[in-house]
This record gives sequence, structure tokens and C-alpha cells, in this order.
Amino acid sequence: MTELISSGLVRGLGIGSTYALLAVGFVIIYRATGVINFAQPALMILGAYATSVLATGAGLPFPVAVLAAMAVLAAVGMATERVALRPMVGRQPFAAAMVTVGVLTVLFVVAHRLIGTQVRTVGDPWGLQRAELFGVSVAQVDLAKIVVSMVAIGAVGLFLARSRLGLAMRATSMDQEVALAQGVDVGRMFSLAWGISAALAALAGMLIGTSAGGFEAITALVALKALPVVIVGGLDSIKGAVYAGLLIGVAEALTRLYQPRYAEWLGANVDVVVPYVIMIVVLVVRPYGLFGTREVERV
Amino acid sequence: MRSNPVQRRGRRGGMRRGVAIAGAFALLATACAVDDDDEPDDTSTDVAEGTEDAEGTDDGAAGEDGDDGAAGDVNVDVGVTEEPCPEAVNPDNGCIYLGVLSDLSEGPFAALGIPLTAGQEAFWQRVNDEGGIGGYDVDISTYTRDTLYDPQEHSARYREIEPNILALAQTLGTEPTEAILPDMDADNVIGAPATWWSGWAFEDNDFGLILESGYSYCLESQIGLDWAGENVAPPSTVLAVGYPGDYGGDSAAGVEAWAMANDAEFGGFVETAPDAVVGSQDAAIGQVVGSGADVVVLAVGPAEAASIVGGSLAEGYEGLFLGSVPTWDPALLDSPAGEAMVAAYRHIAPWEGIDGETPAHEAIRESLGDDLPANEGYIFGWVWSYPIKAALEAAVENGDLTRAGVRAAVDGLEVDYEGILPSATFGGEANETAVRTAVINQPDPEGSLGVSPLQVGVTGATADAYEYTAACA
Repeated sequence: MTELISSGLVRGLGIGSTYALLAVGFVIIYRATGVINFAQPALMILGAYATSVLATGAGLPFPVAVLAAMAVLAAVGMATERVALRPMVGRQPFAAAMVTVGVLTVLFVVAHRLIGTQVRTVGDPWGLQRAELFGVSVAQVDLAKIVVSMVAIGAVGLFLARSRLGLAMRATSMDQEVALAQGVDVGRMFSLAWGISAALAALAGMLIGTSAGGFEAITALVALKALPVVIVGGLDSIKGAVYAGLLIGVAEALTRLYQPRYAEWLGANVDVVVPYVIMIVVLVVRPYGLFGTREVERV
Repeated sequence: MRSNPVQRRGRRGGMRRGVAIAGAFALLATACAVDDDDEPDDTSTDVAEGTEDAEGTDDGAAGEDGDDGAAGDVNVDVGVTEEPCPEAVNPDNGCIYLGVLSDLSEGPFAALGIPLTAGQEAFWQRVNDEGGIGGYDVDISTYTRDTLYDPQEHSARYREIEPNILALAQTLGTEPTEAILPDMDADNVIGAPATWWSGWAFEDNDFGLILESGYSYCLESQIGLDWAGENVAPPSTVLAVGYPGDYGGDSAAGVEAWAMANDAEFGGFVETAPDAVVGSQDAAIGQVVGSGADVVVLAVGPAEAASIVGGSLAEGYEGLFLGSVPTWDPALLDSPAGEAMVAAYRHIAPWEGIDGETPAHEAIRESLGDDLPANEGYIFGWVWSYPIKAALEAAVENGDLTRAGVRAAVDGLEVDYEGILPSATFGGEANETAVRTAVINQPDPEGSLGVSPLQVGVTGATADAYEYTAACA
């Protein structure tokens, strides 16, 4: 039972929370602009790098470094939207999504240049320390991932639900033309969506960078796990992104824990394909995701 | 994006399908990345039409001018010019062009590949500073290519530079090198590997083209376990953790052979992959902790090694980790796993680190000046260059610096490593000529590159007795 809680549930909820952070970033941009942002992995690793530089290089207190890194990446996200995505307004969303693939390539090259080939660390305070949770020893970093992610997602949810800007963003996501008619600066909402999404990606990068072995530029590919998460949760559902992230994180962790013992014949690293298996099953049963909006087809 | 809600929903439906396709593609890409059994690939059509040197010339190039070291008339063909090298040290010399196919930017071993290539450049700079070889300077910079540790890219870049090179000063990675071996065989191109696969010791595998230096991963793990048995405690259970294929697989085969020879239990081969592929090393950590092994032999990347060591110790594992050569990077001392690495990880190396006292070490330090390289890759590159230098010198001495002449010089070639390794002879029985010595290092913040030697010249009874008759994996 101890192992199930420590290495299964808490570890899974920890990594699942990080997936959820990334997925919420996808959803916010998708709801605001109808575009899937494939640049999220590069924004994530740049966030880890910014945290590393500010915390271990500049010597800022870790929380300050994290917030500053989120601000820097928010600015990068907003600038990206203004330069690369705004000219795509009115075009097919698929074309705009392809532009984000280009942005991913450019930012990935930048990340490689900045990070180089060496292992870097984010200077987090948790390291390999353990904590007692209901009598079970769990990794502090797993608890940190859960708490930090849920606080961040909760803050974004509150912002969207209670603030005037959040209301404007929701109005934009529901109908851009009506929002425009009501005086909402739709372009500003696009920019804000990219800023929030990039900040969340930076936070996720910091959490991924807490790995015992640090992080490298290539670690960015971990963010691709958020793709099945947004499909499972529903492309336009923040709630779905959170539940799906946690579901996939726990499923991965339990597979890592038990598959080598009870289904060794399946081979090594089966947990890697678990998110995609879940995605395929959900696509078959609910093509719009667990919490996504059902499509209305014109017939 | 100015559209009505129905249109937008329709587009979202399209997007969902698009993302689903992208997800499926990512699944396929992940599966390919985990399965490390890529077939050798020589399907490249990206062949640059470079300036191919006149073949069959027989002028001895600059050697005819009576430069020091000139060996009289020397036959030359591809990759050797009468014209001096770009930025030649000796403007009166001709030029021998060697190719470098390495991992220099985004591949998993770029952290090693960059200093490794720098070490090779320093080695050949020293050769040129001393007058070159037979009236020729050696250039490895012009035909250096980044192949990203990708067999397909390796093959494409090889075809690109092949018309202009005499040999390969470096071909990094076992599988990438295997991908170009048939072409190298057809082209009579020899090369120095940046890999310690056991197969390089056997002509069945490398066509006699690969001039390896030091032990193999297979013998490395056996030497390490022999050392642990004598200096820590005789292990009753041993476990191998590594990447599938010729790196981790070769190391794991050595672990299994050691267990069989010592009546120890082989806990198995835990296959893992880089963090970028599997997300984390949690699966490997779980199996290490649950294995009850006394010693775990790692054959992964540096970040992954730190994750496994740190994570396992945090989960209560109390055994010892032995890491293959590529598992160490000085930056790991600053990682969250730094303390765990110092406590429970020992690094196996084929030769002594930067602080060694051999003539080779002195030359390496002299080439560096006051700077330290990022990691031991610089030394690897330096050492791996000795056999190619010896082959070129032998070919000049034979009066045949053609590709065929260089290849013919390999059989029976004697290589002097200036003390950093015992002298080696190529072409004999692998069981007789295989290097079976290692250096055991421990992480040490005070060490020049984050490690200090615990013991040098380590040999072991199991490794010495191992019948080396075929590639281990």
C-alpha cells in the first residue's frame, strides 16, 4: 500500500499535474483563437532555462526566479502571437497551427543555443527530500508539483471566472464577432491567451526541470505528452485538461510500477504508450473528449 | 478567425482530427524512439558533388620537395592533395583530409561529441605543429559534419563527404557507424569510432575498418564488477540498466557473463531510454529498488544516470552503482542527485583522466593551456586519434597513401598511445589483443573534471578470463 501511494498515486498525480499545466495552456489558446499551439514544448524548456539562469545564475530566491521566468516567457508568448500568429487571423486554423510548428522549430533552435549540451538544474529547494503524508514517505518534489500546478490552474480559473479581462476572454472564445461588437479588444485577448499559456508552460518547465538529473534542451519533448491529454480531456475544456492530465499521470505511474512485475511480456517502457492508448480509447468512445464540447455538424 | 460559431465548430472538428493525427504520429515516433533496432540505412541520396581529388596520382605531393618526414614517392588518391590545407600550419605541405561524423548539436551524446571533436582537432594540430605526416598536414575541420546520432543522417553526411576524404577521424555511435560500414567497405575508408562496442574487435562486424581504442562496454562492466567484488563486497545479485542496442546491450551482456562466471544472480537487463523519450526514469528506479541487487551497472546518458542513482537512493536502495564511460558529466555534481552520486556511484573509464602523468596526458594538458574541457570527451577524442595517425604513418612508410594502402596498413598495425593505454596491435585475435584494463573513478567536487581516480590499471579475474570470440551483443 505504501508503494502504491508513494510511487503510484502521488508520483502519478505529480507528473499528471505538470501535464495538466501544459494542457491548460493548450486549451486557453485553443479557446481564444481556435488554434492548437504546437510551440508549447519549446516555451516549456525555455521556461526551465529562464528559471535556471535566474535561480542558479543570478542567485534570485527560487520563488522570485520562478515568477520572473513566468513573466519573461509570458512576454515571449505575447510577442510570438503578435509577430507570427496575428497575421493569420481570418485564415484556416489549421494553417495557423502549422505556423506554431514553425515557431516551435525556431524556439527549439534558440533553446538549444541557450542551453547548450550540458545538463542544467533549476535550483529548486526540494531535491530528493522526502516528506511524510498520512504516514507514507513521499517525494517532496511530487507534492510540490501537485500543489504548484493546482494553485496556478486555480488562479487561472479564478481569473477567467471573476475578472473583467477573464470575462472578455471567455466572450472572445464564445464568439469573436459578438465580443468585438461589445467593445472587446479581440486582438488583445489573443495576446493575453498566449501570455498566460506561455507562463504556464514556463511553470511546467520548472517542474519538469526538478528531475534529479536536471534537464537538457531535448527534455522539451516531454511536453508532447500534453497532446493526448488535451484530446482525452477535450480541446476546449480546462476542467477536462486537469482531469485528463491527472488520469494519464496516474495511469503512467501505475504502469511503471506494476507492468514490469505482472506483465513483463509486454516489454520495456510500456508506460510511454499508455497516454496514447488512453487517447485512442477515448477517441473511439467520445471523439470530442471526456469534457469537450460536442460538435454540431451542418447537414 | 472571423467566422460564425458553426463554422468555428466545424473547424474545431477539423482541428481535433488534425491533433488526433498529430498524436498518433507522436505515438509512432515514440515507439520508434524506444525500439532501438534501427536497421543500417544507406538510402541517402543527398550526395554533394564535392571536388574529388585526382585519383592515381603518384607524385608524393609535398613529400617530393624533401620536407621533413617525407617518405619519397607516395601513391595517393582520394582525400590527399598537393595543395596545402586551409589555414595550413606548414604551407609547403600537402593536405590529408579526414572526415568527422559526430553528434554536435541536438543528439543525445552532443555533450560528449563537442569536446570529443575539439580533442581530435587539438591532436591533429599537434601533429601538424610537429611537421605533419610524410609531408602532409592533416585537416579534420573541413569535412566535419553533425549527424545528430541518427543513422540515416550519418549515412547521408558520409555520402556527402566521402568523395573528399581519405579516412574518418571520427564516426560517433555504434548504430550510426554500422549504418555506413557497407559503404566504408566499398570505399576502402577506415575510421576511428567514438564508441566502445565489443563488435569493433571482430572483422565479421567491422570489415577490419574500425580502429577502436581501449576496452569494450562488455569488458568494462566485467572489470567494474571484478573491482567491486574485490574492493567493496562480492555481489550476490547484479543488475544491468541501459539503453537497448549496442551500448546498453553490450554492457548488460558483460554483466550477465560476470554473474555466470561468479555464481551470482543476474537480476536482468532493465531497458530504459533517454528522459526525452520516456519522460522520467521512474520505471527503471522502481526496478532497481525492487531488484535487491548489490551492484547495478548503468549504461545510459549522464542525466538519466543521475536520475536513477538519486531516485533509487531516495527510495531506499542501498547498493552500489557502476557507470559506463558515457554516464558521467561534471555538471551532475550540481544536480539534485550530486550527493547521491558521490555516495553510491563509481565511474568506469578506459584510461586515466586529465590529471594523469603519462606523456599523452602532458600533451593533452599542454594543448588545453589553462582551460579545462567541459568533460572527458576531449581526452576520448585525443586517444581515439592515435590509431588513425599510426595508420597514416604506416601507409606513408609503405609508399601507398591511397585508401587501399591505408586500409592495408591496418593489419598488424602497431599503435603507441604515449602511455595513456598500453601499445596495441590491430589485426590479431581479439581474445589476445583486447584491452582488459580500466580506471575506477569516484565523483569528487575537487577533481579536475568532477572525478578523481580510486584505482588505475584495474584488471579483474573474470574480465581476464573472458573468452572474447564474438561481439557480446
